[in-house]
Amino acid sequence: MATPQAAQTIRPQQDAEPLLDCSKLVRRFGSRTAVDGVSLDVAPGETYGLLGPNGAGKTTTIKIVCGLLEADSGTVRVAGLPVRAAPGPAKRLIGYVPQEVALYPDLTVRENLLFFGRLYRLPRRRLERRVEEVLELIDLTARGEDRVDSLSGGMRRRLNIGAGLVHSPTLLVLDEPTVGVDPQSRHAIMESVRRFGDQGMAVIYTTHYMEEAERLCDRVGIIDHGSLIAEGTPRELVALVAEKDQVQLVASGDLTRYAEACRALPEVEGADVDRSDEGTVHAVVRDARSLLPRLLDLAHANRVQIRSVEIVEPDLEAVFLHLTGTALRE
Amino acid sequence: MRPVLAIALKDLRQRLRDRSAWVIVFLAPVVITALMSMAFSGTAAFHAKVAVVDLDHGTAAAGLLQTLRSPQLADTVSVRSYPATEEAAQAVRHGPEQAGIVIPAGFTAAVAGGRPEPVTVLSSVDYPLQAQLANAVATSFVAQVNADRLSVATALTAGALPADLPRLSAQAAELRLPVQARPADASGYALKGVSYFGPSMGMFFVLFTIGFAARGYFSEQRQGTLDRIAAAPLGRGTVLLGKSLATFAYSLAGLATTLTAAHFVFGARYADPLGVAALCVGMSVAVVCLTTLVIVVSRTERQAEQLSSVVVFALVLLGGNFVFASAGPAALRRLALFTPNGWALRGFTDLGTGVSGLAAVRDPLLGIAACSAVVALVAAVLFRLRRTP
Ligand SMILES: Nc1ncnc2c1ncn2[C@@H]1O[C@H](COP(=O)(O)OP(=O)(O)OP(=O)(O)O)[C@@H](O)[C@H]1O
Ligand SMILES: [Mg+2]
Repeated sequence: MATPQAAQTIRPQQDAEPLLDCSKLVRRFGSRTAVDGVSLDVAPGETYGLLGPNGAGKTTTIKIVCGLLEADSGTVRVAGLPVRAAPGPAKRLIGYVPQEVALYPDLTVRENLLFFGRLYRLPRRRLERRVEEVLELIDLTARGEDRVDSLSGGMRRRLNIGAGLVHSPTLLVLDEPTVGVDPQSRHAIMESVRRFGDQGMAVIYTTHYMEEAERLCDRVGIIDHGSLIAEGTPRELVALVAEKDQVQLVASGDLTRYAEACRALPEVEGADVDRSDEGTVHAVVRDARSLLPRLLDLAHANRVQIRSVEIVEPDLEAVFLHLTGTALRE
Repeated sequence: MRPVLAIALKDLRQRLRDRSAWVIVFLAPVVITALMSMAFSGTAAFHAKVAVVDLDHGTAAAGLLQTLRSPQLADTVSVRSYPATEEAAQAVRHGPEQAGIVIPAGFTAAVAGGRPEPVTVLSSVDYPLQAQLANAVATSFVAQVNADRLSVATALTAGALPADLPRLSAQAAELRLPVQARPADASGYALKGVSYFGPSMGMFFVLFTIGFAARGYFSEQRQGTLDRIAAAPLGRGTVLLGKSLATFAYSLAGLATTLTAAHFVFGARYADPLGVAALCVGMSVAVVCLTTLVIVVSRTERQAEQLSSVVVFALVLLGGNFVFASAGPAALRRLALFTPNGWALRGFTDLGTGVSGLAAVRDPLLGIAACSAVVALVAAVLFRLRRTP
């Protein structure tokens, strides 16, 4: 993405009136409760990460926030204005970036941006200027006249974000913007999200990448089975497991069964196979040193060959293991 | 720019970038109209070669012959006399005649006595229309004489029959209008094939727009752009209106292209350009309503695709777009009145036989409006039912 522009840094004003205020959101699909009493708020300029595994209810929450889904109960307010599926002034303040790339493949990059801008009734001049700005921001100025179906995956992801920015929203809602993106583009996307925050835009951001949430977000909410099970700054969350140890075992064999066996031990708070590295098991334990021999015995019993063991600083991954017993999985 | 317009223009732009849409809505109907007009060329207008066998030799028979040979029918009918039924039948079966009329002995006496003495119509499977024309001329001659209870002599000099000839030639083309709705307009002319098949094919292909538009809607749903539009501060009506506007414009452009080509290139002739325009507009509105129905009923792109194909073929089969003069049974012809395209074809047929103004298009427009209203109503009801499960 474009090089960071000199922008005045506005950091979250925690004590200010929240820009986004969700209260007790509930949404059911048939008998399944996808969102079960989620309350959260985001301050102006704050970057909030909604972290949770597949099916946790992230997208459903996001869609309620953007007025795309009606909640069964609960309220959403943006800058004090209620958000509903019916059109209202609140929707103008929100920039929605869906999880899947939602663009017209047969239109050009510029045509896509112009179209989404027109939906917000921007005057022609301002719209044209803004489209150029956004193109620059997502580093696609040179590709403006190209059809979207000729772009690379990473470029489409960037344009997907750009399309939510044309009307200069005050709250940017990003649903897993980095899924399926190569590390370089991922870095660029994260870089620009950080910049949006710096420019005073509030950002709500869902992901199941811990390290992203840890790096980017001022505050993180952990959502599982439709409920917010923990919330705080990354530092606060990690403090939850401060007195715990995180053990990282590089091994081969049936690691899923092994992790399950580890979880059965009372001293193990959580254990699971790393979601990006099949050959690694993470475990959060009380007192790793005394537990280690038993973990190794268990490996032997399960015909798992341990190649290395490391005791590492707890991070958000450990927090999640601690809270739910299992890892965030794809 | 207003969001409604933005959505409509975006849809149109996408549609015009889709080559298959171009081919189907603009190119195919023109090409087929060209083929049709070639098939009808030589006799640019509808024409019948009729064999006549006069076994009666009376005044009524002479009257019928005179009718057939009248200058008003000269463009439409050429008559040749044959001495015996067998020879005429042979000529109809193997050429050069296309249909025949056998006036039985005692015809004059029967007509004078008010008894029906049916003439025999010889028909060939290759020329059903010509047989219908022969039949229409003969029966209407008898009916006229009977109805007026005129003497044969009066009937012959009445002069009323030639004025009715446009009606007859129109009947030959199976105008499904009640006879009294057709003014005995002296400016009437015979229906040319291209005047019928031009709009017929135009409508057939424009009905495919239903499929394009419905599929487009579901592909927007699938690719998430519909959600993105819904995230903007717009009413749901805005999306529907914008998309309908695009469908309307596209259909109208397709019909206009076909009819313009039919008229200027292939010589289709209509009494009233305004009437033609009104029918095209009406038909495009019907396409919009049908599209909405298909979208409401379907759940996936695939369903929409299949449903719209079914709708298109049901409509064109019932509406008579494929059967020139709907040679089928009367029940089938009545079914055409349940389709907007059936009504539009009626209008085009009237316009193509010289009827102009409201007389030609009022009933068809009302028919199209009724069909569209029913479709829109069903769509609205289903939409409500689906939204509140
Ligand atoms: N339209 C729907 N109909 C029925 N169930 C749904 C619908 N949308 C979501 N769900 C269910 O609600 C739950 C939460 O789904 P949601 O998409 O919000 O999860 P998510 O956290 O975004 O997951 P992912 O990381 O995979 O995107 C899931 O169990 C899902 O199956
Ligand atoms: Mg999701």
